[in-house]
Amino acid sequence: MNATRIFLGDRLGAGRGNRSDPGRTGAPDAADERAARRRRRRANKSPWRSPLAVTGLVIIGVFLVAAVFASVISPEDPLAQKWPKYQAPSAEHWFGTDQLGRDILSRVIHGTRVSLPLALLLVVLAMVIGTVLGAVAGYFGGWIDMVVMRCADLVLAFPAIILAMAVVAALGPNLTNAVLAVVVVSWPTYARVVRGLVLSLRQSDFVQADRLLGASGWRVLAVDLRPNLAGPVAVLAALDLGNAVLLLSGLSFLGLGAQPPAAEWGAMVNAGSANFDAWWVAVFPGAAILLSVLAFNFLGDTLRDALDPRTARAIRG
Amino acid sequence: MQANHPNGASRGGIGRRALAPLAVTVVAAVTLSACGGAKKSSDGAGGSGGGNDTLVVDTSFSLKTADPSRTFEPTGIFVTRAAYDTLLTFANGDVTKPVPQLAASYEVSPDGKTFTFPLRPEAKFNDGTPVTAKDVVFSFNRVKNLKGNPSFLLDGVTVSAKDEHTVVLTTEKPDASLPFRIPTPALGIVNSTAVTAHGGSDAAGADQSDKAEQYLNTDSQGSGPYKITKYDVSTEVVLTRNDNYWGAKPKYGKVVIRNVPASTQQLNILSGESQLSLDMSADQAAKVKGQAQVLQKPTPTTAFLFSNDNPAVSKITSNKDFQEAVRYGVDYPSLLDVAGEGSAQAAGIVPGFFTGALDASAAIKRDIPRAKAALARAGLNNPTVDLYYASDVTINGINFGDLAARIQANLKDVGITVALKPAPTQTALDSYRNGTEALGLWWWQADYPDASDYLAFAPGELVGKRAGWNEGANPAVTALAEQARTATDEAARVDAFRKLQEAMQQTSPFVPLLQTAQVIAANNSVKNVYYNPIWYVDVDKLG
Amino acid sequence: MSTSSADTGVDRGTSRPGSAPVKGAAPGRGTASAKRRSHPFARFVLVRLGVGVLLCLGITILAFGLTHAVPGDPVAANLGQRALNDPAAVAAFKAKNGLDDSLPSQYWTYLTNLLHGDMGTSQQTHRPVWDDLGDKIPASLELALAAIVLALVIGVGLGIVAAVTRGRWPDRIIRVVSLAGVSVPVFWLAQVAFYVFSFKLGWIQAGGRLSPGAIPPDDITGLYTVDSLLTGEWGTFGEAFSRMVLPACVLAAFNIGVLTRFTRAAVLEALGNDYVRAARAKGLPESTVIRRHALRPALTSILTVAGLTFGGMLAGTVLVENVLSWPGLGQYAYKSALNLDLPSIMGVCLFVAVVYVVINLLVDLLYGVIDPRIRLS
Repeated sequence: MNATRIFLGDRLGAGRGNRSDPGRTGAPDAADERAARRRRRRANKSPWRSPLAVTGLVIIGVFLVAAVFASVISPEDPLAQKWPKYQAPSAEHWFGTDQLGRDILSRVIHGTRVSLPLALLLVVLAMVIGTVLGAVAGYFGGWIDMVVMRCADLVLAFPAIILAMAVVAALGPNLTNAVLAVVVVSWPTYARVVRGLVLSLRQSDFVQADRLLGASGWRVLAVDLRPNLAGPVAVLAALDLGNAVLLLSGLSFLGLGAQPPAAEWGAMVNAGSANFDAWWVAVFPGAAILLSVLAFNFLGDTLRDALDPRTARAIRG
Repeated sequence: MQANHPNGASRGGIGRRALAPLAVTVVAAVTLSACGGAKKSSDGAGGSGGGNDTLVVDTSFSLKTADPSRTFEPTGIFVTRAAYDTLLTFANGDVTKPVPQLAASYEVSPDGKTFTFPLRPEAKFNDGTPVTAKDVVFSFNRVKNLKGNPSFLLDGVTVSAKDEHTVVLTTEKPDASLPFRIPTPALGIVNSTAVTAHGGSDAAGADQSDKAEQYLNTDSQGSGPYKITKYDVSTEVVLTRNDNYWGAKPKYGKVVIRNVPASTQQLNILSGESQLSLDMSADQAAKVKGQAQVLQKPTPTTAFLFSNDNPAVSKITSNKDFQEAVRYGVDYPSLLDVAGEGSAQAAGIVPGFFTGALDASAAIKRDIPRAKAALARAGLNNPTVDLYYASDVTINGINFGDLAARIQANLKDVGITVALKPAPTQTALDSYRNGTEALGLWWWQADYPDASDYLAFAPGELVGKRAGWNEGANPAVTALAEQARTATDEAARVDAFRKLQEAMQQTSPFVPLLQTAQVIAANNSVKNVYYNPIWYVDVDKLG
Repeated sequence: MSTSSADTGVDRGTSRPGSAPVKGAAPGRGTASAKRRSHPFARFVLVRLGVGVLLCLGITILAFGLTHAVPGDPVAANLGQRALNDPAAVAAFKAKNGLDDSLPSQYWTYLTNLLHGDMGTSQQTHRPVWDDLGDKIPASLELALAAIVLALVIGVGLGIVAAVTRGRWPDRIIRVVSLAGVSVPVFWLAQVAFYVFSFKLGWIQAGGRLSPGAIPPDDITGLYTVDSLLTGEWGTFGEAFSRMVLPACVLAAFNIGVLTRFTRAAVLEALGNDYVRAARAKGLPESTVIRRHALRPALTSILTVAGLTFGGMLAGTVLVENVLSWPGLGQYAYKSALNLDLPSIMGVCLFVAVVYVVINLLVDLLYGVIDPRIRLS
């Protein structure tokens, strides 16, 4: 039964972007593995020197600066409806104006204040919830494992966007609820990966040794396992940041996330669909989404390559 | 590992060989679609974009049913209009004068309470059976007893058959608006025999016992120029010419009404894929002019704002001075800018082209000092109030989210902070109906072309209650509304409605914002396009 | 094309996905092993089916709970503005749709009806949900099939090229392209594609599966392209095909990225195996080595991912369908959610769950058939 479950989990995870593959990390030869990791760490170049990672970092840096100094950088008040509507991009309005005569450049800049912190927040939330549940499930096994993993299955079998739509419909459309909805659909990925890692680490010598010395389960989790989980989970989170931005802006696009007059990229793209002649209304905020997600993915992808291959395979996307 | 895949080589070969037919298929498909097209209606007139005999209408569906006696939504009204004749109708979009359709004429008794309709003997249903008084009585009683959206049209009306070809309607009070309600497609006459046979009922309790809706959705039972031959509430409705039609046969043998977002409608009109578009915004219409005929007409749809009059809902919005601040704080021309060309400020709640409407000159003008003074009188310093609206609707190309954002900016200028509380229509309707919204941004579309439809805004009436303006809140206004309702003489009616609206400009929680404009774009090949404020166009009259 | 020393990690990877988990699953093995020996495969299928049914049941509970937690009144949602003031009409609607009963009893009613094949009546369309799904599913299925074929052809191709040219410029370019594929917001891509190809260039008619008024081909599979081919209606086929191009390409974009990344990794992993070295040592041409010894073993896991991606796509078309007016399941789900049309939402969720379970089952069976070690262990 247990084999079945892991096996199922293995396949299921792949459907969600092929991340979680805890099955394959099962029972490594720990000593051998660690030695190999050390060797590779020396052999591999630092991920921070890869051009992709640098590009990603630079873009994220630019967006972060924009977010922090939005009110300084942006030429206009993002909410001011002072100009004629649907002005094409010009020297005065680089990105044009929207259906209410607002400056789109300023709105795109202020959009970083919505998308980035929220994406970060929800990834951290999903990560913490998923990691704790996954670690507990993996370490203690039994009915806890059963309950947690069945819940994860349930969420995974539920189409993410439909589940998010239902959550938002139930709680009312606004950003907070959209974030909550995305957290609800995101945590199982972490839970699966972490559970798989814990299952494999549990057998390893250093955990066994600590157990023999009389350490409690919680102590083992916190002291022995946590450092080993931190790397893979961090990479997973980096990869998930892009997804979070996409899902969140998708919900806003459908009118279930950010609400007017907030400057949110997804909602701005949606405003563009009302009038295709004014292409600039949708194109620039959409490009901002693309750029930020791309930057996160550049970074996440490079980081994953730097992980040891077995763990990397477990979170392949 | 290799041993597990003994057929590796041959499998790989198949993959490559399979590519050739695939490529051929792709090329063939593209070629075919370029020169051919799918099989069309029975006459076989080909060509992408419909043959000469097919009219393609694009609209954003607002459709719940094709059972005329339950119809309330604009698309449903448009569809049932074509399939169900009514006793009276409006010709060529002129809604000031009801003209006979199934009735040969009509007669009003001197006391204004009895209406007699002799029926046309030649009229028959699409199955060939004649239309009789029995069918009219059945249809009207069914509307009343279904207790659906259109039931109010027959409030206080009793229907009876004088003989096989004469129908008599009697009202409790004198009711000058009844002839204007009769042409509403919801009062379309159904074939009582067929509907009864499929579970229909006109008896009391029909709201529980009537089972004919699904049948009528797929198989229309009216005497109109078209039959409904396909009904899909989310994609398309197809009307086919009724060969048994008793009147002039329509030109188009088939009418396809498709659910298409406004942006795509613009594209389809330009490319010729569709011949008629009903939902473009004024901005889009501007891009189409010259390449297609464009009608931009004022509609009987009023967008309005209200500040809830019920102190239990909000101490702030129920304050009369706050209401005045809102009324004079809104920048009406700036809202028209959002709405686009063709829309007009609503002076009163009754749209401009109805008898009894206020003159445009009587409209409220923005007065920031006055608004600020009112706010100060109310003792409110930078109050914050919630504004509720339906986030997913676009009425005549106007997005209510944009309108709300503009109102928010307007009121910020006078020192009122507005927090926007959008919700999907279905959720928003709930709070609207329950009268729990502090500020509400809604619209009212005339159900029939008469000012009396707007008496719903009086205290204690349907919309009044939603704004917390309950019965007894303002006896003077209530009295004026009652006068307007019962006046039969034209001049007296006009006077009563004007007085009512002037009073409402002073004290009501309502702020009429604008009257929307309908854009109807049609391919140049389509003739006789007249806008009807209730059902867009008479499809059967298009040439 | 040689695997460099930096590839040690790949070289050392476990040889087959799915073969490892057995070891991690020590508890419970002993007791079940006897039974397994008697009917290992049948038991494997039965257990999986049982889990699947339970999962579907769980989904109905979750969906039911969620949809009933909605504060909006389904009564308000499905009656218009006018009837709302009539308490009798509201009461009638509630009674008719069983909204008066307690939640558990409503759920029980739903379940019993479901067992009789009745998924309820949609409150928007007034048709049985089953019929609605029957209309919408083929539309989404056709779109998802087209997209997955496209994604497979391009994604696998790019993935192989990337693996073969590992570390060199084609690999780097493909990496960026595939990352861009998974990074692009699909709703935006749909809009931009629509703007460019339909609005500006006028190359592609978008919206709907056929031109208005066209008669769909006889219903054999429900997929218009397939049906029109089967009945020989070439004109209809051309039209159905050309209208599908834009949404299918947009939908494929994300999955091309996923499949490229996956193929690259899987092929690299296979290339690191001993038998590949042996094949090379034998002097086989490099193309043969890749096709026969690297791609072939990688294909299983690629197909697995494709299958699961396909399942996800079927449910994940909401955004594409909404932007490009494709009358499929996604649009139906979205409208149902907005209209608080509970039976329809339940129907969609249940369908998606069933697809999920079935695809996972198929994937596992496929593994079992291909690699006997899995089902025996």
